[in-house]
Amino acid sequence: MTEIVLETKGLTKYYGSTLAVDHMDLQIPRGCICGFVGRNGAGKTTAIKLMLGLLNPTAGSSKLLGCDSSALTPAIRQRIGYVTEGHRLFRWMSIGGLEKFQRAFFPKQWDDKFFADMIEYFNLPKKQKIKHLSNGQRAQVSLALALAPNPELLIMDDPTLGLDAAIRRQFLEGMIELIMRQGRTVLFSSHILGDVERVSDRIVVIDKGVLRANCSLEQFQKAIKKVILSFADSVPDEVNIDGLLHCKRSEKQLELTLIGTDDEKISEWAKSAGAENYQIVKMNLEDQFIEFTAPANHKRLFQWEER
Amino acid sequence: MRFSTLLRKELRECLPWLLLAAIVFLAVGGFVLHLEPYDENYNYRYSRISPCDILSCYDLTYYPILQVTGPWLLLSSIGLGLVLGVRHFWIPHFTRTWPFLLHRSANRQTILAAKLTAASIAFIISLGTLWFGFYWYACRPEVFAVPQTLRVFIEGWIFIMLGFVVYLGTALSALSTANWYTTKIFGLLLATVIIVTTLSQWTLAGIFTAIAVGVAVLLSQIFDTFLRREF
Repeated sequence: MTEIVLETKGLTKYYGSTLAVDHMDLQIPRGCICGFVGRNGAGKTTAIKLMLGLLNPTAGSSKLLGCDSSALTPAIRQRIGYVTEGHRLFRWMSIGGLEKFQRAFFPKQWDDKFFADMIEYFNLPKKQKIKHLSNGQRAQVSLALALAPNPELLIMDDPTLGLDAAIRRQFLEGMIELIMRQGRTVLFSSHILGDVERVSDRIVVIDKGVLRANCSLEQFQKAIKKVILSFADSVPDEVNIDGLLHCKRSEKQLELTLIGTDDEKISEWAKSAGAENYQIVKMNLEDQFIEFTAPANHKRLFQWEER
Repeated sequence: MRFSTLLRKELRECLPWLLLAAIVFLAVGGFVLHLEPYDENYNYRYSRISPCDILSCYDLTYYPILQVTGPWLLLSSIGLGLVLGVRHFWIPHFTRTWPFLLHRSANRQTILAAKLTAASIAFIISLGTLWFGFYWYACRPEVFAVPQTLRVFIEGWIFIMLGFVVYLGTALSALSTANWYTTKIFGLLLATVIIVTTLSQWTLAGIFTAIAVGVAVLLSQIFDTFLRREF
């Protein structure tokens, strides 16, 4: 049986009257790399802070490594790496000073060589103060600090936000270093679906505080499809196919975004609707995510001009 | 090990401010002490009083010289308390470093205790040591004619403790999530103001009791708020 390292049950958080996380039931098994995706304000940061016990839930609970998040002991925290949103570190400290500070909290696990190698790989001088580092360099220091104690579970809150493509790649390669170590679990939130596609084997989608998907990346990619159907006369008025997410009509074409609908059903429906032909279009993860989280009646920008 | 690491970090954050407070108090207090012995109205007549002289009531109103530096000590102490409170509890809000500090193999009590200990040490090192130094200097018989009393020395420590109360009040104001006028700190601030205004009329024991109660209430509120607060 797969061990669950992160579990939430009905996790809910209100900020005043605003619902940030809505009854989230999530389970993350050991050893997976989980991309935690959602639009801006979807509730990713709040969910992560709830999991780490930095926020108190309005209802529900969460557990990390079997320990309730609201009562994480120092011993459990020692096993969890955390990269904060925006890589907020003590600005007055030097990289070396920060290493020394952080090492004191992981006396047995801290890997000096690993930290030194990462800092060298990122080409960062240890004497440099954090306040003099760029956003990308702070991200690199932050990652090195989180990885050097060799955590069992690494949680990262939008670690590649604001980084350029080259730095992002370096960052992801650093992350892969951890992934190479067996039994390590990573949960990272991101807006950049390309990053998630590159390193994750599992995807969790949150939308307006609601958990919309929690499955393997492969399952997610297989499940969401775009089908373009062509009709000889006009498109049917009613589209009643299972798993319909969105439907876009033109004069003789129907563009459907479907979830969990197998090819056989699509073929059957196309025949019954009188389509001349149809084709299943391959979607990348970003398109799939946008279609998956877009509201049913979403309008395109400048749609009003087309009237 | 973890506590000492946290303490070193907090002390390092205090360092510029404790040095500033010490320099200000040393400069101003030292200047006042340096000038006062040459004040004719103060010292000159005292040095010529013989046992046969008849002293007027006016002569008897003279006070120990160290008392002149008192207001400067109070100002330095309150200033230091305010700045340290902001540095330890408000700045992590602005720079959003609370999550980084809190997620480590140390519990919240240890993290808070390190901050409070660092602040206490900062007060003792900067203002406490200087006040002791000034007292020692002023007590030397050849320097001032009027002897320094132990009461003046203790009053100095009361001023230092008031600075620590301001530090705790600033800390609580940073940690509290309620509106300022509904907070308990609002009442406490009022109480502190009342204490300060009545200081001169109180006995030393009364003042100490009031401060000790204030510190105890503030500390219990800070610990309770910090342990339950969201970051």
